[in-house]
Amino acid sequence: MANFSIDVNGESRQVNVDPDTPMLWVLRDELNLKGTKFGCGIAQCGACTIHLNGEAVRSCSTPISAIGNASITTIEGLSENGSHPVQEAWMEEDVPQCGYCQAGQIMSASAMLSKIPNPTEADIHQNMSGNICRCGTYPRIKKAIMRAAEKGGNNE
Amino acid sequence: MSNQLTTNRRTFLKLSGTAGGGLILGFNLYGCATLPSDPLFTALEINAFILINGDGTAIIRAKNPDIGQGVKTSLPMILAEELDLPWEKVIVEQAELDSRMGSQFAGGSTGVKTNYDNLRKAGAAVRDVLVRAAANQWNVPITEIKTEDGFVISGRKKLHYGHLAEAAAQLEVNENPPLKDPQDFKIIGKSKSDVDLQKIVTGQPLFGLDQEIDGMVYATVLKPDVFGAKLRSFDATEALKIEGIIDVFEIEGMDNPTRMVDGVAIVADKLWTAFKAKKLVKANWSNPRGYIASNRQLMADFKKGINAKGEVLREDGNVDSEFRSNNNQIEATYDVPFVSHSQMEPMNFIADVRENEIDLTGPTQTPGSAAGLANMITGIPRENIKVKFTRIGGGFGRRLGNDYASEAVFISHKLKRPVKLVWNRENDFLGDYYRPAGCYHFKAAMEGSKLTALDVNICTTSRYLYRGSSPAHGTEAFPDQQPAGMVPNFRIAYTPLLTNIPVGALRTPGMNATTFAYQCFMDELAQNAGKDPIDFQLEMIGEEDRDMPYSDHGGPSYNTTRLRGVINRVRQESGWDQPAKDGVSRGFAGQMVFGTYVACVVDVRNANGKIKVDQVHIAADCGRVINPIGAEAQIQGGVTDAISAALYESLELDRGKPKAQNFDQYQKLRMKDSPDVHVHLTDSNEQPQGLGEPSYPILFPALVNAVSRSIGKRVRELPLKKHGLV
Ligand code: FES
Ligand code: FES
Repeated sequence: MANFSIDVNGESRQVNVDPDTPMLWVLRDELNLKGTKFGCGIAQCGACTIHLNGEAVRSCSTPISAIGNASITTIEGLSENGSHPVQEAWMEEDVPQCGYCQAGQIMSASAMLSKIPNPTEADIHQNMSGNICRCGTYPRIKKAIMRAAEKGGNNE
Repeated sequence: MSNQLTTNRRTFLKLSGTAGGGLILGFNLYGCATLPSDPLFTALEINAFILINGDGTAIIRAKNPDIGQGVKTSLPMILAEELDLPWEKVIVEQAELDSRMGSQFAGGSTGVKTNYDNLRKAGAAVRDVLVRAAANQWNVPITEIKTEDGFVISGRKKLHYGHLAEAAAQLEVNENPPLKDPQDFKIIGKSKSDVDLQKIVTGQPLFGLDQEIDGMVYATVLKPDVFGAKLRSFDATEALKIEGIIDVFEIEGMDNPTRMVDGVAIVADKLWTAFKAKKLVKANWSNPRGYIASNRQLMADFKKGINAKGEVLREDGNVDSEFRSNNNQIEATYDVPFVSHSQMEPMNFIADVRENEIDLTGPTQTPGSAAGLANMITGIPRENIKVKFTRIGGGFGRRLGNDYASEAVFISHKLKRPVKLVWNRENDFLGDYYRPAGCYHFKAAMEGSKLTALDVNICTTSRYLYRGSSPAHGTEAFPDQQPAGMVPNFRIAYTPLLTNIPVGALRTPGMNATTFAYQCFMDELAQNAGKDPIDFQLEMIGEEDRDMPYSDHGGPSYNTTRLRGVINRVRQESGWDQPAKDGVSRGFAGQMVFGTYVACVVDVRNANGKIKVDQVHIAADCGRVINPIGAEAQIQGGVTDAISAALYESLELDRGKPKAQNFDQYQKLRMKDSPDVHVHLTDSNEQPQGLGEPSYPILFPALVNAVSRSIGKRVRELPLKKHGLV
């Protein structure tokens, strides 16, 4: 066990965990931020996607010991009350089915749009293909990303 | 105060029992003594489904688990419609297990279809007591009262539902309340976004995995990597040295493998600790009965199975004599693999087993049976077992069984403390109940372009035989499936195969395999006869308006006019009769599935022998559509899900062990390969049917027929990946 101080959603948080603990479990079970989801544990499904200094990373495969001073954003910290353009577009297109993968999808999409404000279909394919949606919401995800881009989705 | 009231009424109900009619409408007792005096009271329960608030809004309980099929939105829409309350004044709440609500489960695309009439009545009955309460108060006849926008109105008198709730709660319920004329529907048929939408996109804790209870510890399980193996012994010495480990012990499987199987429980103060310690537990397993070592062995068993004399499920005319006199014969064998559910939320459940009470919380499609299992394991009476069911991160049939809930109960019972059980993804592949693999043999005789005889032999790893129920053919083979009844000489026989591979229901159980085989074979016959595949099937269906007897799910009959309707619609919408774009090949399939009519056209491209799905058109007639935006999502989702299975998915065995135990090996469809899916819904006033499943099976044959055309060779085995086509 070791003490860590990390920057999560703009706040400094202290935890005492094993250094090899993936950020996923630190967020979920230590900080009670349950929005970040567990799907595979091996960086294959994207359900656990968070932003590390604005980059989309898979928190299941990022141990807390690798965080250092980097700032972490989770779905809970993306906006107050879901007002990020990507979240709004997601609501306008009624994207989720079961909803389980959607936090990860939104985190991947918002990270992409902050770098590529007007993505092509190829950009979307490339940046979103690390996230599995078992319910098959891909057609609506694509529409929502296009909609967010039109409204200026790089709101970070 | 009002909560108090609710509790009192519930208790009274339990003591007094209910009348049958009351149960159907979810009503409890009337004429209560204490009622809220505060005008800002909340949640006055008028019946099991509807609670009125003092401000005129209402809480509507969503009775069934939501696995992504949208019933947490669509079922309350039906209640709100007949309650005649604007959707904006409705607050939807997930129900708990509650016997007044009738059966509460998610399966078979039955949510809307089996609840539509009752929920209309239950909503209308509440509106009816509100109207009568107003009539009493104003001393005017009911005929001079109307409801509008959540108000009861007579001339210039106007009160909202909150004003009348107390008086209404004391009136006798009318078991046959007046229902709306569907022409006046304001909510049903209008798109409503998912009631949890905002919570989902902001990451609120809705799912089973997100729940916590006081004092809980975490558990995970070690499973054998050969399915059904029995635990001989285990050594946890190393695991127990890890800081934070609480206990490691055997989980004894129950005699029925669908209830709970052997494993080792690892309990710790943190989940990550349990996951780590699991790797240090060494266990010894014995090989199970019906052990299948390889896919090749399975294929050999299937070939034996379809050559055996199976049980004849239906016989029309005389197939054998037609084969003797008609030499224009065609034969083909189709194979489908075991497919994993791979729902995104891994199995998890919370159990708190106390002296004589149990609280269960978690994602289950069948909360009632979770309670039943908890009772079997602990002996604690059913009435002392509470079940809260959460939003579910994908069901697809996996959570019809509650083996993981059983494990949570077993562990909590043994430890005497609350436990949250969580599987990792590897557990999920090792502990899945796969879509049964099967083999489908067809032999046909043709006269010109007319099918004169069809002999079908099916052998599958029956999920009924696996779980010890009968008949074994259950939903593995459908005697009345199209084209049965359209062919003068027809026979279907079935042979079950028992293996150690756990099998269960997966989205359109059985139908997702038979539809692939039948509709591909129809395409072969059309091609053989030199006919357009759509013309071929339309001719077989005929032009008369017929109700074809259908003894399975979706019956008792299906209508040929509605079937032709969706086929013609997809033909037109997909531009079937215009030449395809350069490099595009098309495939078609159309059929009734679980009461809904579906027809599909798939466009594929072939780039150097690799298939790319270009676009999909699908027409569906599910009767009256409750929530169009949700309906479209279900159809798109089913199609997209099926593309994933058709392209990539199969359980591959290596010395009895699944080669794929996570998404690095078990490929799923991703954004880059996901095509546009154009949905064409029939505008209909017929009785509503389900939509969570019917689009799934129809995609397989439409896609594979397109692929066969594209490569100039018949593909008769799934997935396409096996043939190097993706
Ligand atoms: S849980 Fe991290 S990528 Fe799947
Ligand atoms: S919405 Fe269910 S997995 Fe994506």
